Amino acid sequence: MLRLSKDEAIRFLGKQGILAAFVIFMLVFALAEAKFISADNVLSVIRSSAIIGVMALGVTFVVVSGNLDLSIGSMMSFSTIVVLDLHDKIGPVLAILAMFSLTLLLGALIGFLVGYLRLNSLIVTLGMLSAIHGLTLTYSGGKNMDISDKSSWFSFFGQDSVMGIPVPILIFALLAALLGIILSKTPFGRKIYAVGGNGTAATFSGISRSKTVFFCYLISSFCVATAGLIQASRSLGSQNTVGQGLELEVLAAVILGGASLLGGAGTIAKTVVGVLMLGFIQNGLLLMGLQFYVQFVVTWVIIILAVWLDIAGKRGKLWSPLA
Amino acid sequence: MKFKTSLATAVATASLVLSGGAAAMTIGITQNNVGVDSYQTTYDKAFTEAARANPNIDAVVLDAGGDVARQIAQVEDLIQQGVDAIIIWPTNGEAVVPAVRKAKRAGIPVIVTNSNISKAGFDFISAFSGPDNVTQGKRSAEIMCDKFKSMGIASTAKVVHITGQPGYTTATERAEGFENRLPEVCPQVTVIDTQPGDWNREKSQQVMEAFLVKYDNIDGVYAGDDNMGVGALNAAKAAGRDGIIFVGATNFAVGYEAMAAGEYWGSIYQSPVDDAKAALQTAVDVLNGKDVPFLNYFDTPKITQDNMSNYTKPVF
Amino acid sequence: MKSINVKVLLKASPIWIFILFELVFFSVAGSYLSLSDKAFMDVDNMLLLLKQSAPIGIIAMGMAIIMINGNIDLSVGATFAIAAIVLLETMSSPMFEGLGDWVIPIAWGAALLVGTLLGAINGLIAWKTGVDAFIVTLGSMLGFRGLVFMFNGENPTSHLNWTLVDFAEAQFLGLHTATWFLLVVTAAIWYLMNRTVHGRNAYAIGNNREAAVNAGIRVGPHMMINFMLIGFLAALSAVVFYSESGSVNPNDGQLYELWIITAVVLGGTKLTGGSGSILSTLGGVIAIQLLRKGLGHIGADTSTVNLVIGSILILVLFLDRQINIKGREELKV
Repeated sequence: MLRLSKDEAIRFLGKQGILAAFVIFMLVFALAEAKFISADNVLSVIRSSAIIGVMALGVTFVVVSGNLDLSIGSMMSFSTIVVLDLHDKIGPVLAILAMFSLTLLLGALIGFLVGYLRLNSLIVTLGMLSAIHGLTLTYSGGKNMDISDKSSWFSFFGQDSVMGIPVPILIFALLAALLGIILSKTPFGRKIYAVGGNGTAATFSGISRSKTVFFCYLISSFCVATAGLIQASRSLGSQNTVGQGLELEVLAAVILGGASLLGGAGTIAKTVVGVLMLGFIQNGLLLMGLQFYVQFVVTWVIIILAVWLDIAGKRGKLWSPLA
Repeated sequence: MKFKTSLATAVATASLVLSGGAAAMTIGITQNNVGVDSYQTTYDKAFTEAARANPNIDAVVLDAGGDVARQIAQVEDLIQQGVDAIIIWPTNGEAVVPAVRKAKRAGIPVIVTNSNISKAGFDFISAFSGPDNVTQGKRSAEIMCDKFKSMGIASTAKVVHITGQPGYTTATERAEGFENRLPEVCPQVTVIDTQPGDWNREKSQQVMEAFLVKYDNIDGVYAGDDNMGVGALNAAKAAGRDGIIFVGATNFAVGYEAMAAGEYWGSIYQSPVDDAKAALQTAVDVLNGKDVPFLNYFDTPKITQDNMSNYTKPVF
Repeated sequence: MKSINVKVLLKASPIWIFILFELVFFSVAGSYLSLSDKAFMDVDNMLLLLKQSAPIGIIAMGMAIIMINGNIDLSVGATFAIAAIVLLETMSSPMFEGLGDWVIPIAWGAALLVGTLLGAINGLIAWKTGVDAFIVTLGSMLGFRGLVFMFNGENPTSHLNWTLVDFAEAQFLGLHTATWFLLVVTAAIWYLMNRTVHGRNAYAIGNNREAAVNAGIRVGPHMMINFMLIGFLAALSAVVFYSESGSVNPNDGQLYELWIITAVVLGGTKLTGGSGSILSTLGGVIAIQLLRKGLGHIGADTSTVNLVIGSILILVLFLDRQINIKGREELKV
């Protein structure tokens, strides 16, 4: 019989604990409610996780580079409202292009403030959360935006399927693959880890920290624009507050995936796992007839557990040595 | 328009009584959350325009942004500024009661608009101006029941109910009217689940998605307003579930369009412009010492695919 | 008087200069744009300003300590809501029915106790597990909010007690009850941070945690006490505010984190810890409330308020950095 010492057990839990817990979770739900693992339900969970997921991909870049982004929810409302408004005015193609450009511009602004001016990312993006919300309200005059032609092909991104797979899932998968390769296999990706791991050392070793951080925010805003596109296409109409609070869900998924908020750690694959985990837990609790707020409490517990196990595994001790 | 003439008369009376001098009365309003949906935004614009059109009125237009602390602060500010009357669109029908009492004590009449405050505050307000939400809920129940009868499923139909924001008087009253009236007209129809959609289209869409996963048979959806109703409709369309009867309230432009497209059955016609004008008018009447009914309702008729041609498309 | 260097002045008390600027701006702009006959700087209006600053201000004092200590607390809005529910639920509880108004101190005590406990939970987790306070409180921001909903679902919790309302609305020496609470809290926290060992250690820990550990300061218990303190203050803020309004929606207190952190940063406290002043934090709180009030006074709408507040936050961060970098360069010369 295999026997583990306590230290080994902690290391194992640190590496695989969350995945193990997730598997157990899934099994329990599947046994309790047969519907849970039906193909329909699984597809529907992934589809509704796609918007959070796409944004989480971008936030992973920002977090790995050692920064935060709390403005994504507000920014997504902006993207959604802009593309819906422009759709009827200049047609879907130009509307999408314009929306992406404007959202990237916001991303560039944040990237400039955090990357080049070296301002604290938490405060900058907190400020942007408020400012972009104001911008959205000014743009729309506070009105809901709706596409009048409900048969527009614009609905493709949110409502159609290709070979039986909903388009939002395809977008999420493609973007995850692309960004996963960029983060793990390219020199740019290595720079991000270097900058996030130790900003000062990276600067001295000839890597431009400013530029790297700037591009991370640009990528993040690109993901937000994509999420806004899916959202707008899904409902063909929206309120100004559609993205409100999503930054927390996204951050929760990224942390659950194991990215360290101190920077330098985290991968796209793990973030995808974090996103799906949140999605399935949410769905499972719902199917069991529990209210949405139970999910808040469960998320709280698993976030803390996940990060704790991760740290405990690395230091080889369960409890912090801090006196 | 009966309403416009009455407004004109009132304005005429007002200017007779208070002839000469600019702005005879200053009216302050603190709204719930402008910009969160089109109804409130349209109301905000209509109110400002109506006040501007009347040379006797100066209006201080404030918005609480959904935050009850900010709303209470705004009532205090309006009292401090010495306005002649305060119109309040409560963020929380209970929590603003002490603030309203403060206004009453300062000798400033308070008019509640759109969504009523709790009964504990009735002693401190001059009037409520807005839609009769209990009747609206009843009417929605009747619309749904009539449709089920004509489809011949009135003995088996199952309904899910998406309410507005909990604690918000409009939401409570509509839900109450609907839940009481439905068993009276259609005793065999069952409401299988009720969840709040918070007046939010996205939230409502998520709630409906969950309903669709949970229940294999849903014949009707009653939503507290069209914004949520359309969210639910989107969820049903995405899941490929046809034949569900959607009934809402506060007919939004999207709801009207969905009705025209044959996807959405009916709603209650309620204009934010009427709502805003009625509130202003009530305040003017109170200040002029006129007799105003304590619950000053404006009419909100039924609208369905059958009679929608009688109504113009809502502007919001 | 060329000896008064603008930069030195700005460095010394930027937030009070900012407040002065706001007052002048809104008074001037208000005389053109406002419909009110009364001046913006009316005494009553300024007294109201202090009162209205209290809900955010009381919590901001706790946040200042947390941030000086090098941590952050994102869960205060949810703690605020839970404390409010405990307060109002206790007052409606049949258990204390026979007590009459004596239920009030019990309800206050219960709310404050729960707030302190929630803070202790955050502090204990951060201390014992070593998980960063940002993540701990991000988690509990969700978790505590979940607990809020468990009391009464999505319905509001209400209990209107007129004795309590009268107390909360009272004015003593011209100042409102809430203002007194804000001032007393500010004084107490100022004393704690400037005159006690705990305060000195908080600065030391925020400044350099390693050095503090080496110097034998017990970092963990300090952190825990600070989190209990902010939990207590969040509850106190709820107690003061809901004594007057008597009804809490489960979403109340959402985004308070945003306002509070903004106020503390405006007051010059660094997120990296180790520096910050309690009096400037009070300045930050007043500056924010003044901004909201003033923008309402001149008829700005919600969108403008959001835009302005967000931009000012970033601008202050930028200016602060410019001034500090310049200062350091001058020192070198």
